[in-house]
Amino acid sequence: MEENGIRVRIHQCKQPVSPSDLSTELVALLPRLRRFARALTRNPHDADDLVQLALERALARSQQLRPDAALAGWVFGILRNAWTDELRARSRSERIFAPQEAGQNVGDPAAAVQADMLCVQDALARLPDEQRVAVALVLVEGLSYKEAAHVMAVPIGTLTSRLARGREALQALLGAQD
Amino acid sequence: MTFSDETVMAYADGELDAATRAAVELAMASDPDLAQRIARHRGLRQQLRREFDPVLAEPLPDRLLAAATGNALAQAHSGNVVTLQRRPMRQWTWPQWGAIAASLVVGLLLAPLLRRAPTEGLGIRDGKVLVSGTLAHALTEQLASTQTADAPVRVGVSFQSRNGDYCRTFTLHEQNAVAGVACRDRDSWRIEALAAAHPAASGPGVYQPAASPLPPGIEQSVSELIVGEPLDAKAEAAARARGWRGP
Repeated sequence: MEENGIRVRIHQCKQPVSPSDLSTELVALLPRLRRFARALTRNPHDADDLVQLALERALARSQQLRPDAALAGWVFGILRNAWTDELRARSRSERIFAPQEAGQNVGDPAAAVQADMLCVQDALARLPDEQRVAVALVLVEGLSYKEAAHVMAVPIGTLTSRLARGREALQALLGAQD
Repeated sequence: MTFSDETVMAYADGELDAATRAAVELAMASDPDLAQRIARHRGLRQQLRREFDPVLAEPLPDRLLAAATGNALAQAHSGNVVTLQRRPMRQWTWPQWGAIAASLVVGLLLAPLLRRAPTEGLGIRDGKVLVSGTLAHALTEQLASTQTADAPVRVGVSFQSRNGDYCRTFTLHEQNAVAGVACRDRDSWRIEALAAAHPAASGPGVYQPAASPLPPGIEQSVSELIVGEPLDAKAEAAARARGWRGP
């Protein structure tokens, strides 16, 4: 698990992080950002949109990044917040307009669940968002509990309970295939 | 002994302190049910990784590379070897256009490679590849004849290029190795070519002028650049003593 933990760091010099250094680090992180986003959104195009938004925000906010801070955790946090914004916007538009893509990305308990047909991504999409994020950070991205709690800005106990509930739900959904 | 779901989960995730871990392991030996719960947790992680890890190997979309580098220019490019300063450019009808395009494109060409490269030593600034840190130090100071096997940078051949600069091949070792050719440019090193490389075992302290297993693209760059023979150990040391400036 170590190798999947937060490994990329801005080098420990005292100057502020320069935009070009940040760009290099962001490029190095891109594959992982895409994987994380894919676990959150399921739809590959949405996932890349989310990554793009997170990259733009990260570059715009590079002043906030302390040189010794773990870059990966910082960008994961930005991506996760961008995703939360997106979910809010979707939920707002669903209230205003007729629902079009119900269940695309948020759990949709009203829809008939063909449990035996669920693939991993469908199962993940049915989790409440906070559980899905916890699962994606720890099980997909390999972050430690501490790192994941930091990204989600919650106490570690909150993270573990979300992770435990998310896991249980996933196992129930996927277990139906056996 | 019974353990809560969260404890079992934390065990499966390697998050328990040593004492609790030992207690779980002790109980596991005589409790097949507990062992099965742990196996299910681990199985779920593997299932998720199987599902999402392939994303890591996908080619990176140009728009994301452009967004990461803050660069609006996105051109599709593929292939592992990136030759930064190609010879044919000298015969280019519009040399200025070529130079401008090259400096703009370099960052994007390199990006897929750099994502596998160690973050120390190589960077992109203003669309140009910069050599810094560990790599710059090794290129300036390290001798192929005396380097240790565990050095983060392995210097290969040193030679003089057609325009008189000293150039050196190198391999940066980390999880994924990157090989390249760098030439001395006043007080810094200029990257001529880069390619993904597989780390190769080589004898410690053995001077291997031409035997270093470089990717074919790098070998080709060397053969395009080189004049005469690679430097031997003595000439290498002498060139270093002169700060890699021409004789």
